[in-house]
Amino acid sequence: MAVDTAAGRSSRTLSGSLGTRLRRFGEISREVLRNPTTLIGLLLIVGMVAMALFAPLLIEPNTPNPYQMPRDWGALNEPPGTPGHILGTTQQGGDVLYGVIWGARTSLRLSLIVVSVTVVIGLIVGSLAGFVGGKVDELLMRLVDVFLSIPELIFALAIAAVLGPSFGNIILALAAVFWVKYARIIRGQVIHIKQNEYVDAARVIGDSKLRIYMKDVLPNSITPVVVQATLDMGNVVLIGATLSFIGLAEAGLAEWGVLVSQGQAGISAGRWWASTFPGLMVFLWALAFNLLGDGFRDILDPRTESKR
Amino acid sequence: MTSTIDSPSPSGADLRGEIAISVRDLRKHFPIREGALQRVAGHVRAVDGVSFDIRRGETVGLVGESGCGKTTLGRCVSGLSDPTGGGVYFDLTGDDNERLDSILASPEADRSEELKQELKQIETRHRVDLLQNQDWLRYRRNCQVVFQDAFASLNPRHLVREIVGRPLKVHKEAFGEALTERVVGLLERVGLGRQHLYRYPHQFSGGQRQRISIARALALDPELIVLDEPTSALDVSVQAQILNLLNELQEELDLTYLFITHDLSVVRHMADRVVVMYLGKVAEAGSTEDIFEDARHPYSNALLRASPDIEDDPDAALITLEGSVPDPARPPQGCRFHTRCPVATPVCGWEVDDVVRWLEDEPGMFDALTDVTRQDAFNADLVFSDESSASALAAALRSAKVPQAAREALVEVKQAGNAVHVVFEMVPEVELTTRGPGHVAACVLERTPELD
Amino acid sequence: MTVSHAPEAEIDTTGAIASVVGLRVHFESKAGRVYAVDGVDFHIRDGETLGLVGETGCGKTVTARSFLRLVPMPPGVHAGGSIYFRPHQPCPECAGTGCEVCDDTGRLPVPCPVCGGEGCETCGGSGNETIDLTSLSGKALHDIRGDRIAMIFQDPAKALNPALTVRSQIAEVYGQHRTEEVLQRAGLGSAASMLMRRFVSQRSRLWERALLAMPPLRKKRMRVERAIDDMVSAALAETQIPNPGNVMARYPHELSGGMKQRVMIAQALACNPDLLIADEPTTALDVTVQARIIELIKELQARRKSAVLYISHDLSLVRRVCDRVAVMYAGRIVEIGGTEEIFANPLHPYTRGLLAAIPSRSQSRGQLVAIRGTVPELIDPPPSCRFVERCSYAVAVCGEVDPGLENVNGGHRVACFIHNPPDMAVEVPSFSKVTS
Repeated sequence: MAVDTAAGRSSRTLSGSLGTRLRRFGEISREVLRNPTTLIGLLLIVGMVAMALFAPLLIEPNTPNPYQMPRDWGALNEPPGTPGHILGTTQQGGDVLYGVIWGARTSLRLSLIVVSVTVVIGLIVGSLAGFVGGKVDELLMRLVDVFLSIPELIFALAIAAVLGPSFGNIILALAAVFWVKYARIIRGQVIHIKQNEYVDAARVIGDSKLRIYMKDVLPNSITPVVVQATLDMGNVVLIGATLSFIGLAEAGLAEWGVLVSQGQAGISAGRWWASTFPGLMVFLWALAFNLLGDGFRDILDPRTESKR
Repeated sequence: MTSTIDSPSPSGADLRGEIAISVRDLRKHFPIREGALQRVAGHVRAVDGVSFDIRRGETVGLVGESGCGKTTLGRCVSGLSDPTGGGVYFDLTGDDNERLDSILASPEADRSEELKQELKQIETRHRVDLLQNQDWLRYRRNCQVVFQDAFASLNPRHLVREIVGRPLKVHKEAFGEALTERVVGLLERVGLGRQHLYRYPHQFSGGQRQRISIARALALDPELIVLDEPTSALDVSVQAQILNLLNELQEELDLTYLFITHDLSVVRHMADRVVVMYLGKVAEAGSTEDIFEDARHPYSNALLRASPDIEDDPDAALITLEGSVPDPARPPQGCRFHTRCPVATPVCGWEVDDVVRWLEDEPGMFDALTDVTRQDAFNADLVFSDESSASALAAALRSAKVPQAAREALVEVKQAGNAVHVVFEMVPEVELTTRGPGHVAACVLERTPELD
Repeated sequence: MTVSHAPEAEIDTTGAIASVVGLRVHFESKAGRVYAVDGVDFHIRDGETLGLVGETGCGKTVTARSFLRLVPMPPGVHAGGSIYFRPHQPCPECAGTGCEVCDDTGRLPVPCPVCGGEGCETCGGSGNETIDLTSLSGKALHDIRGDRIAMIFQDPAKALNPALTVRSQIAEVYGQHRTEEVLQRAGLGSAASMLMRRFVSQRSRLWERALLAMPPLRKKRMRVERAIDDMVSAALAETQIPNPGNVMARYPHELSGGMKQRVMIAQALACNPDLLIADEPTTALDVTVQARIIELIKELQARRKSAVLYISHDLSLVRRVCDRVAVMYAGRIVEIGGTEEIFANPLHPYTRGLLAAIPSRSQSRGQLVAIRGTVPELIDPPPSCRFVERCSYAVAVCGEVDPGLENVNGGHRVACFIHNPPDMAVEVPSFSKVTS
């Protein structure tokens, strides 16, 4: 809807471009808060990220490597509620609560690294393909096709077989497979956005190709990437947990998938806590990011696409 | 207003009447790719040999229906698309223009080394798609565009200050506070104000967005503005406001306009001269009065008679045109309009494709047609699945089912069994001929006879 | 304070095929309630073409879509008023082909069930069955759509299903509304089984379709298909499409804009509707194609004598097509009357402004009369004349009281105090007093 005519409402309290941008940010935030499921997702994420960031404060880090589960030989397989081990201990005497908290930190590391790396690679490849077009596009897309046909799990197994099982290799495997998604998304968006008349208008002004890309094409193409990245923050942890569950990470790592895997032997004997709590965390993490991602999709896309 | 042209030449006012843009034999073809290997199967000849001048200070109206090539032509003039043939020349002096025309008049093979050198010199400094560095920047400052869809031509994520100020930034003319003040000046000139600086495009109405677009186009003090259907998406009353504004600006700033539109009443109101396009070529060109009072091409006449607001008499029947626009990848021979022309003559380019087209309207016969072997566009064998269809065609070609003019153009119709050998008189492409000072039309007829 | 609008009963509506009475359609949006259509009254006589003219945001499209309940109901809200429709039935004498009894239209009005044609309150004195379109739903609505009221849209490319051939799209209309006729043509008549009936109306169950592919029923199915082919072909031929047999088998993307529009018209007219609603049918077409489509619509309308509600923003076009014109502004009708009357003697300042804004021979450059300002937002409109901000003749009372649509002469009605001064002792506006 048109807001007003030339006679218009005069500038409000905060004028200038900063004011408008802040107002816009405020509008988007309000949208996020208005939607209950998105809000739940956001709160969960805030909780878990806080847990990850403040891990050393919440629980005494293990030495020498805090990412390794500590072993308390005197408390094996203790159930939840035991003093000193609120959520119980594992078969190796590792504190489940420790695993939950430091597992969050591991997951945050994993998802941040993988998502940032894949987004950047995908952006570069996709932008080149979409913006430059022609043979470059063809070549890059064939490359993408090759990577797309690799199943994540098999590829991860292959890497593990070659390089040995380690958490770092999981990151590598996931990054190698996840980037193609972004390349495709960006390429599609760039090709679509390129056809808009405001890109022509920028050319007519005489702006350089790079500036046109940075100012006109990229900002308008980024929305689906933001949505996908949010969703992937959750999915990466899910898949990462799967990979470590099947044994591709070092044993004894303070990571949810590893914990689930090590705890499952005890389930038939009634020792549910070693697998359940870490498993629940994986679920919550993936759920939270999916909720937020879906919320973003609904809020950001129609707003930028067809605001008339 | 000081001249924006930095070569040593007189001030803007004295240059009125001088040529700003010369379009010479412009061609823009788009390849059609087919098959798995993407071979080029043909070309869409969007613009196929167009020449005209735009003089300083005047408004040239470019009219035609969809598919005629006017938008593509506009893009070539503004430098957004590079031509496949011919060229758009900017800022030629009168002498240079004459030299150019005389060089181009001689066929390429016959030109001496000297002439070729001279041509190259002119081209590097004046041909839009060959300009480099300083010359290119100069062109960009002097030729701007206002697009049809104001919403699509403004980046939805940029504030008005960014949008209108961008040309100034790109050409390093102003920054920061100075830039803001200049933007305010531009906004005020188009009827907006300071309060609009920090808003997004979606917060404005259609008419206001178009004003923002115009403000942006004016930022660098250009010579020429290409307006591609600037008011087609606007309501009538808003259109009136924008047209008034454009006129005001033209007078104040000594602007030259290339006004592309399909709306004849708007063109009559705004343009000094009009160029009518059909299927990639100029059908007719002349002063506005010439075109509207004394149109010499049947297509121009058809356009005028089909527009409801042109005819002041509401009871006069709208003259309708039969058929549809032919495929721009296979334009008709002779005069491109002959397939739909109500007054076509025998020398208008009747060809084999016309016969195939007539057959399409006869269901039985079209299905029986199995093959067409062409020697050239005018000479072919049409093979049917049975003799009776072949005889039916041969008979039809001699009967009143086929326009008289076409029948007269037939040199030979010979049936041999299942096939019919058809030969038409070969005619060259129809050229633009002069009808009066500055008035040209591409029609073999002197005048278009009354259409009813 | 508002002056009430002329009650519908005062206007002679005998012979009217549709009457819109006090229609209000609002939209709930984040910014508030948008009063998109806010008190619209007009009627359409049987056989006439009424033009609904206005610029963007005036409410004409919402009004037209309300006839067939095509306005999405959240966020839209039917806030009041009705649309009365007097449907016809295929003439029993000639079975819809045209005869003296039905005046060659093939349709006759359905007598009012309450008074049997005498005239009573239910039918508003017309003696014909009267339905309120705004309260229809389900089967009753389905029966009206496509059969008694049909609609053609602005962009034929978007209005035709790209995945269906032309034949399928038109056959759908016959299948839904003319099952009996199809069966008759196929020679199956009343002996047709439920299976065949369901096939024609496209409601066949999965296993029935398998049965229909097998020899005993296959022949019957072929006959039905051929009957439909004939009917579709006839419908296409009526819109002057050359070679209907060929066009029938094509998909919409294979046709030109003008052809697509003809297909849409053929589909709309297939069941000989009483009312055809045309929503800017030529806006997306070239000028020469537009001319042909307009001639076609005029011709078809003259032949079938169906009523047409023609929506457009183009006044010059409307002048050629319509018998009467209604000018809409900001959700209301501001002027309505015979076409020539309105063009020769426009009464409302907005109508005058619209006509003056069209570039014509008589205006010199830069002197187009532009209506200043822009269309107001329709959220919580003040109780004044909606045009007051932009009117050059407005006086104090115009900003306080809302003028109603009043009769000026004959059927020419205007909503403006210049022609219908209020009953109060206040300054009255006039064309000789330019106030701003």
